[in-house]
Amino acid sequence: MLIPSPLRSLCAGAAALEVAGATLGEVLRAVDARCPGFYERAVEGGRVRPELSVALNGHAFRYGLTEPIAPADEVTIVPAIGGG
Amino acid sequence: MTTIEKPGYKVIGTRPIRPDGVEKVTGKALYGADIHLPDLVHGAVLRSPHAHARIASIDTSAAEAMPGVLAVVTHTDLPVVSDTVVDMGEGVSTASDMSKNVLAADKALYRGHAVAAVAATNVHDALSALDAIAVEYEPLPPVLSVQDAMREDAPLLDESRHTKTPAGELSENASNVAAHNRFEGGDLEAAYAEADVVVEREFDTKMVHQGYIEPHNGTANWNSDGTLTVWTSTQGAFAVRSALAELLQLPVSRIRVIPMEIGGGFGGKIGVYLEPVAALLSRKCGRPVQLTMDRTDVFQATGPTSGGHMKGKLAVKDGKITAAEVSLAFEAGAFPGSPVMAGAMCMLSPYEVENFKVDAYDVVVNKPKVAAYRAPGAPNASFCVEQLIDELARETGADPLQFRLNNSAREGSRMITGVAHPRIGHEETVEAAQSSDHYTSPIEGPNRGRGVASGFWFNAGMQSSVIASVNPDGTVNLIEGSTDIGGTRASLAMQLAETLGIEYDSIRPTVVDTDSVGHNDVTGGSRTAYASGQAVYEAGLDVQQQMVARAAQLWECEAEDVEYAAGALRHKSDSEKTMTFAELAGKQMETGGPLQGRGTVMARTPGAAYGVHVVDVEVDPDTGKVDILRYTIAQDAGTAVHPSYVEGQMQGGVVQGIGWALNEEYYYGEDGRMENASFLDYRMPTSLDLPMIDTIIVEVPNPGHPYGVRGVGEVPIVPPLAAIANAIHDATGHRFTELPISPRRVVEELHNLQ
Repeated sequence: MLIPSPLRSLCAGAAALEVAGATLGEVLRAVDARCPGFYERAVEGGRVRPELSVALNGHAFRYGLTEPIAPADEVTIVPAIGGG
Repeated sequence: MTTIEKPGYKVIGTRPIRPDGVEKVTGKALYGADIHLPDLVHGAVLRSPHAHARIASIDTSAAEAMPGVLAVVTHTDLPVVSDTVVDMGEGVSTASDMSKNVLAADKALYRGHAVAAVAATNVHDALSALDAIAVEYEPLPPVLSVQDAMREDAPLLDESRHTKTPAGELSENASNVAAHNRFEGGDLEAAYAEADVVVEREFDTKMVHQGYIEPHNGTANWNSDGTLTVWTSTQGAFAVRSALAELLQLPVSRIRVIPMEIGGGFGGKIGVYLEPVAALLSRKCGRPVQLTMDRTDVFQATGPTSGGHMKGKLAVKDGKITAAEVSLAFEAGAFPGSPVMAGAMCMLSPYEVENFKVDAYDVVVNKPKVAAYRAPGAPNASFCVEQLIDELARETGADPLQFRLNNSAREGSRMITGVAHPRIGHEETVEAAQSSDHYTSPIEGPNRGRGVASGFWFNAGMQSSVIASVNPDGTVNLIEGSTDIGGTRASLAMQLAETLGIEYDSIRPTVVDTDSVGHNDVTGGSRTAYASGQAVYEAGLDVQQQMVARAAQLWECEAEDVEYAAGALRHKSDSEKTMTFAELAGKQMETGGPLQGRGTVMARTPGAAYGVHVVDVEVDPDTGKVDILRYTIAQDAGTAVHPSYVEGQMQGGVVQGIGWALNEEYYYGEDGRMENASFLDYRMPTSLDLPMIDTIIVEVPNPGHPYGVRGVGEVPIVPPLAAIANAIHDATGHRFTELPISPRRVVEELHNLQ
């Protein structure tokens, strides 16, 4: 998990963490175990906050928490953007 | 065109006539204001004359008593909604902010803010009734720039607003800064210490409007069974349905939105303004109600894009950009939600930069709430960064395109978010510009100069659904829910024709309402040709699969023995058994009934777009007028489905960028009144201002789409602001850091008259 720079204060400044999890929700929970408050910043009401996207292996998207995650996948959180 | 790794296509890459062309050029296409319903009545909106005022009271009794008046509504007619963030499919907002923008609550936050509305038997009675509505305002000092808004003693638009950070922290004091985000990486100070050259400047841009020709409109009929039907000009019928459901607290199943033809949007027709007001009026008077805007309303009361203030500091070492520190503060208008984050994430994405710090401030001011405008935020931010890169190239004696190529991002390069780029085409696009006839030709003559700039836009994917119904004559009705702004009926029909191996003319695309097709997100984010195209491909495969099964049924064999290729079905081991698409389409009744393919996608891999622009200008030092002598744009389209429409998007984006660079601005008086709210005074470019815009389509196929499609609509507006400023610098030796670079500003700068 790449920790977005605005949220590194929750992770003692760490830029990346290696965590285990078979789904996006599990990965975010695993990060939260080491960075308390992280899950709450990413998830609200059982889904990734609407103002955020998850980037999975370079593709930002509004993934659900049940999205399968493979062992070598790279996950991060980015602001959601709107186009014209 | 410059093409890489592209397979041969039969339909994709051709230039057929658009299916909606005849209706549009003969004036028969129906737009929102063309709707005439039985018992239709007209409405009018009362707007605030103040940029910032507390609303002490609104008395509508005299207006309600006037002859012909059927209903009057104010904010109190809207349900109370929550502060929760609402996902509108392309951008987010809070329901309460949306509600207060539709009809002002306790405060008017910009001149033109809707305060009340009237429905009457005719528009003249409605307009007269507006004068009879008594609103008691307590005017407050307006805040009109981000610099003023960010001062500690600035008047507050909302006393309860505190600055939010992504970590969930809130500022101690109330503020007009709604949000502050920071991206940082590497060791910035070390990079500056070791740099060969460091450049640093501040930049300012002004609020500008998309300038679509058709004003907003909305017609609503609150039916006696409690359902609501709305006709409107929108980029997203489903987004309008979601907004109405939230604002009116109705289930989406009780709302039907019928998208009319659209006379331009560019991002500005995603939000709702008139539709909920027309709905409230219709519910109150029991008749369908139509509201339309005039141009002044459009300027003052819809969503332009942000102006803002930017500071940038870039460094180079051995020809490589080693450091970038940029601060962006963008106007959000009256409610939070500027595109500052998109600008922050786009501006450095053409390059590899290891050490960076980017601050992004979303700032509310007493101007209309901004909306999306073609690659929202990226043109402003690139105006800053691409000029600094031009300076770095000049200071180090490098060719500006070669400098960009030497620093280019490529597959695997990381953006400031940490996300690695998938396959992208910035290098190929720079090379195409380098080898263009334009760039390889000298520019000569006094007061003439050449500028270049790169631009990046993410593009979007999201949800699309289509239905492909096969007719007995071998044609296919393509039912889609994506508003056609830039020729997507054609580009989607072409992708279905390609998938089915039949002629383009055999596909009949129709854009339908929200009751008639599955969910479609907005036509925005340059997503429709890509994402709806993917849905079309899926629908085509579905039809193929069903046809194979039916051919097997007719030939009394297994489906595995039948193949579908080039618009025909063949038995793999019996060459006598073949059937064309049309022949099998004619046998639907005897093979099981109607044939209908379905395609639904949540498209995840849009593939980013890059554009590189080259522009020559001539500056008149006496009048300050800047003439565009020549303009060439190279852009990665992935695969150009309909090259003419791709070129049209490229040229259109450039033209809007030229207007933004040279003339367009919301010009405000100190009282917060927009002084140029008409096309007479808001100076958009015309054909007389422009040369032919030359286009070079680069095709680096998007691996995330079956035909390699990338969105093309937004990135062409990203580079022009900086490219033109760089050209003017080349011509005059003066660096213009404030937009627009109007004749007045040029004369003041060249003759030191400021």
